[in-house]
Amino acid sequence: MTKVAVYGYIRIVFDLAGGPAWWWSIVVLALAGATTVMGVLYALMQHDLKRLLAYHTVENIGIIFIGLGLALAFKAHGMLFAAALAFTAALLHVFNHSLFKSLLFFGAGAVLTATGERDMEHLGGLIHRMPKTAFLVLIGCAAISALPPLNGFVSEWLTFQAILLSPQLPSWGLKLLIPAVGALLALAAALAAACFVKAYGVTFLGRPRTPAAEAATETDSYSLAAMLILAALCLLVGILPGIFIDALAPVSSALIGAHMPAQIGAQWLSIVPIAASRSSYDGLLVFLFIAISGMLAAFAIHRLASDRLRRAPAWDCGYPDASPTTQYSATSFAQPIRRVFGTVVFRAREQVEMPPPGDTRPARLKVELHDLIWEAIYAPLVVGINFTADRLNRFQFLTIRQFLTLVFCTLIVLLLVLAIWN
Amino acid sequence: MELISNFAIQGAQMMLVLLLAPLFTGYVRKVKARLVRRQGPPLLQPYRDLVRLARKEVVLADSASWLFRTIPYLVFAAIWVAASLVPTFRTGLMFSWSADLIAIIALLGSARFLLALAGMDVGTSFGGIGSSREVMIASLAEPAMIMIVFTLALIAGSTQLSTMAAFMASSAVGLRVSLGLGLIALTMVAIAENGRIPIDNPATHLELTMVHEAMVLEYSGRHLALIELSSSLKLLLYVSLIACLFAPWGIDSAGAAIPTLAIGVAAYIGKLAVGGFLLALFETSIAKMRVFRVPEFLGAALMLGLLATLLRFVSGSF
Repeated sequence: MTKVAVYGYIRIVFDLAGGPAWWWSIVVLALAGATTVMGVLYALMQHDLKRLLAYHTVENIGIIFIGLGLALAFKAHGMLFAAALAFTAALLHVFNHSLFKSLLFFGAGAVLTATGERDMEHLGGLIHRMPKTAFLVLIGCAAISALPPLNGFVSEWLTFQAILLSPQLPSWGLKLLIPAVGALLALAAALAAACFVKAYGVTFLGRPRTPAAEAATETDSYSLAAMLILAALCLLVGILPGIFIDALAPVSSALIGAHMPAQIGAQWLSIVPIAASRSSYDGLLVFLFIAISGMLAAFAIHRLASDRLRRAPAWDCGYPDASPTTQYSATSFAQPIRRVFGTVVFRAREQVEMPPPGDTRPARLKVELHDLIWEAIYAPLVVGINFTADRLNRFQFLTIRQFLTLVFCTLIVLLLVLAIWN
Repeated sequence: MELISNFAIQGAQMMLVLLLAPLFTGYVRKVKARLVRRQGPPLLQPYRDLVRLARKEVVLADSASWLFRTIPYLVFAAIWVAASLVPTFRTGLMFSWSADLIAIIALLGSARFLLALAGMDVGTSFGGIGSSREVMIASLAEPAMIMIVFTLALIAGSTQLSTMAAFMASSAVGLRVSLGLGLIALTMVAIAENGRIPIDNPATHLELTMVHEAMVLEYSGRHLALIELSSSLKLLLYVSLIACLFAPWGIDSAGAAIPTLAIGVAAYIGKLAVGGFLLALFETSIAKMRVFRVPEFLGAALMLGLLATLLRFVSGSF
């Protein structure tokens, strides 16, 4: 659904509006950069699995709009090949996001049907009960965190390559803004990885925190098949991005007037955005190298080293038999990041209530977060709309004569407006 | 013939980093010990540790999953691939174009992602604390690193490490403000990424401020051997990266003539010796920071990187 907005934006700005002015891209880039980081920070603070994914979409839309903003800036300055690169990166990210986000939502749905829970704090250890779902969701998590050799990395890499072309832009505003946007994009990518370590680690790893999580069963094979197809596509786009970039070329030439060089002929199926001496990335080779060296290591270890294995209680620095509630929870996992970024972004405050020695009451930690965007923009808007609606409510109870007068007056006013306008 | 020699050189590079990594770790430990007038463990001790760990049985926690047992191999593979793509004694290796510097950084990110998951897997409080702090540090170190990459890429006109190293070795570089800022920021990031003092202490096991060691606390036997080897490799990778970008002297650019290759290897080992000594000197002369001082340290690295990139954006002459 969120992609409809992207489609509408591309249609209007790149197609209908013709040649846009360069300063439009400043607005787009600044908003997109801020959205990217804010989206992922909001996602990090959530412990409802589906809500976390939804906030994460905000981040990804931000990444897409960074690509579109760059394309706009390049196009306005006549750098058509750079514009095509940024535009293709944005479109590829749209496609990638539709793959991994659907996969993750399927995964969250599978968890919900298996346990009846969306709150991560009540889950844990699902990898033992739902190993197949856990494996497929892991691929989705790695893909959305922009990790090679999966697909999320390819589109972010292309966006970075587009950013590296921007010093040739003549306008100073863009020259100062784009490096900052690049830093925000890198920050968002790193925070996204943190966010999905949290989401996956708390939901699927560790020990079950509630009986519901302990009693979970593997989801049905149709859901698994759906996730399997999406996960396979994530890997396919990651290792053979050239095919998909070439498929986007007609769109780019229709809207920008140029397209990226054909990728399919490059050696070993690598992608080369500009020139081979400048930058290239080969997902297939990276994937093969990791697979081969991982297998070499496994082979060497199992040939030469001991293969004995003993199960024992967790070591945990010698603290025996801790209860599952002592595990790191979603809230505690996000605590360092909340402390680093949250004091500014969310005006986060933590209150610890420690009972005096000898008192057996449990200690309490209260975390207070403010959604500043909601409080500063949406909440006043809602109040304003409600206020006006209340005032206008009186019109609902008028008599028929008063209604007719009202219609008549409106007509007069509108005619007057029309007369003055012309 | 050329294909075979190229292949052999790429293979030699992979084996060289793998074999040198524990030695380098041992060397840094030895220098650190000597600096505080201790005898220190022998240089070959890390190899002995690895062999001993590999011979021992694995004690696996009851609540550990299949992921916990797979992750050491994946982490090792990702870091080994990344380390083999950084030019050490020769640029323009056979597969050097398969991943540029951004991809190498992202490969290290993959390894860290998996290791942080491993910390969460057993379900203990120590593992969680390590993972959570590791990702916090990474969330600041990675953007700083990307900014450094931007600076260097804009100077060299490429994100391809081989091209960058060749450009840095040429006389076209000169002395630049942005390069200086980049070097400082890169050193700070390298220290943070490898968990060295003042960010983390690689020598402790029972300290509440620990990060990396807490994350891998539940590993034992062959799994721990792989993790230890990967962290040695990662340290070597960062030192090689700094060496090939900021001290590219003696690096062999093309051809497979034995004398130039020998010079390349000798220069590389010399650079490692100097780099390791400087690291040890820095570590002994500074105290460890509290965990929440780390964001300030890395924030400074990020700002330096951003400043260097901005300077490059503003004018080509900085």
